[in-house]
Amino acid sequence: MLPKGKLPVVVIACQVLEEMLDRLLPEHGRSVSQVTFMDYGLHRVPSKMAGTLQEALGKVEEPSLIVLGYGLCGNGLMGLKAGKHTLLVPRTDDCIALLLGSYKAYRHEFATVPGTYYLSKGWLEAGSHPLSEYEEYLPKYGPKEAMWIMDMQYQNYERLMLVTHTPADLVEYRPAAQQVARFCERWEMRYEERVGSDAYVRQLVEAAMALSQGEELSQAARRDFIVIPPGSEIHQDQFIR
Amino acid sequence: MSELEQISTAILQGEEEKAPKLVNRALRRKVSAKDILENGLLVGMGEVGVRFRAGDMFVPEVLMSAEAMRASMELLRPELISEGVKLVGKILMGTVKGDLHDIGKSLVNMMCEGAGFEVIDLGFNAAPEKFVEAIKEHQPQIVGMSAMLTTTMRAMGYTIKAIDEAGLRDRLKIMVGGAPVDAEFAKRIGADGYGSNAPAGAELAKQFAGAA
Repeated sequence: MLPKGKLPVVVIACQVLEEMLDRLLPEHGRSVSQVTFMDYGLHRVPSKMAGTLQEALGKVEEPSLIVLGYGLCGNGLMGLKAGKHTLLVPRTDDCIALLLGSYKAYRHEFATVPGTYYLSKGWLEAGSHPLSEYEEYLPKYGPKEAMWIMDMQYQNYERLMLVTHTPADLVEYRPAAQQVARFCERWEMRYEERVGSDAYVRQLVEAAMALSQGEELSQAARRDFIVIPPGSEIHQDQFIR
Repeated sequence: MSELEQISTAILQGEEEKAPKLVNRALRRKVSAKDILENGLLVGMGEVGVRFRAGDMFVPEVLMSAEAMRASMELLRPELISEGVKLVGKILMGTVKGDLHDIGKSLVNMMCEGAGFEVIDLGFNAAPEKFVEAIKEHQPQIVGMSAMLTTTMRAMGYTIKAIDEAGLRDRLKIMVGGAPVDAEFAKRIGADGYGSNAPAGAELAKQFAGAA
């Protein structure tokens, strides 16, 4: 059962959504009591993710509606306990759907070319992509070994895709993305661009506002979001649709 | 440190040159190939799997351990055969549709070959119908499926369904594995078993073949 009455809204999200949330949250003024952005790198070790997020949840004292700006993230959210809070999570495997604007858009890209490596503004800035990975390995393993590690991981990929939310961002981040694309030519990956939308994240914020006011989610929203009531925890099968 | 411990440590540390040298030395000292495999190589690789899952080991290190394992197995395989390790069965392996990650699956293949299985590899992005056709053609006792993503692991369920609909399910044992997979998921989709790492996968296969 969801708690009756109004709940303060707390946002705990991956940095990859920072820009979108910073833009969308102020529209709702004081109803959002706290926003925390977590490090990009968290998804690299899914088995440690829930623990880190649980700690962040533990710091929220008042029973709240906690909006998690994450997908299932390689089971990284699995086992996360709501405790006294209510959790709201997008029903998506990872943040690509949030960047593209909908789960449907993600499924479409995925079905078209499964072997796609996605680039976003956030990841380019954080240096989370194959080129930076190679540069990280270089001093540790030397050029030959480092490239072998890269080949083993990426040789089956077919496409590199830059996803942004505005055409302006596309222009701004294109040079950095193309630099990564040139490196990935080694595996015959082709380069593509998409202007996504903030629709999914906007719906997340709207769903949070509705829930915090004690309203029920619409049927469409229930398809796209998971609500974890106090005392329950996040399971993998909740994300499968 | 015992001889076999040294071998498992060399695997764990990804020492591609040292591991086969140690294997060679153990063979010269009349340690059986089976003992070297089970109490040396597989112990090391099992630890790699555990540490990788826990986030204490990363892809590059796992790849190096796999290379050390491969180099050691090359040396050990003829010895295993001459010791009379019997062919225990046939396994069909593949990474499911939509998924192109094959590092883990290749590791399981290597382990299963070491355990005496003939392995038929369907590669990656293998559609359910590809599994069905290959089962008809090769008649394996065991089918293994791998997926690295939560987006693709549901394809394991679809594959099992296709195998069932083709009337082939009863004669097979199906095992699944991969980063996002766990025992609960395996049960939910109707698999017979789940391996949390490569040696665990091979161990499961041995149990299915009645060779454990």
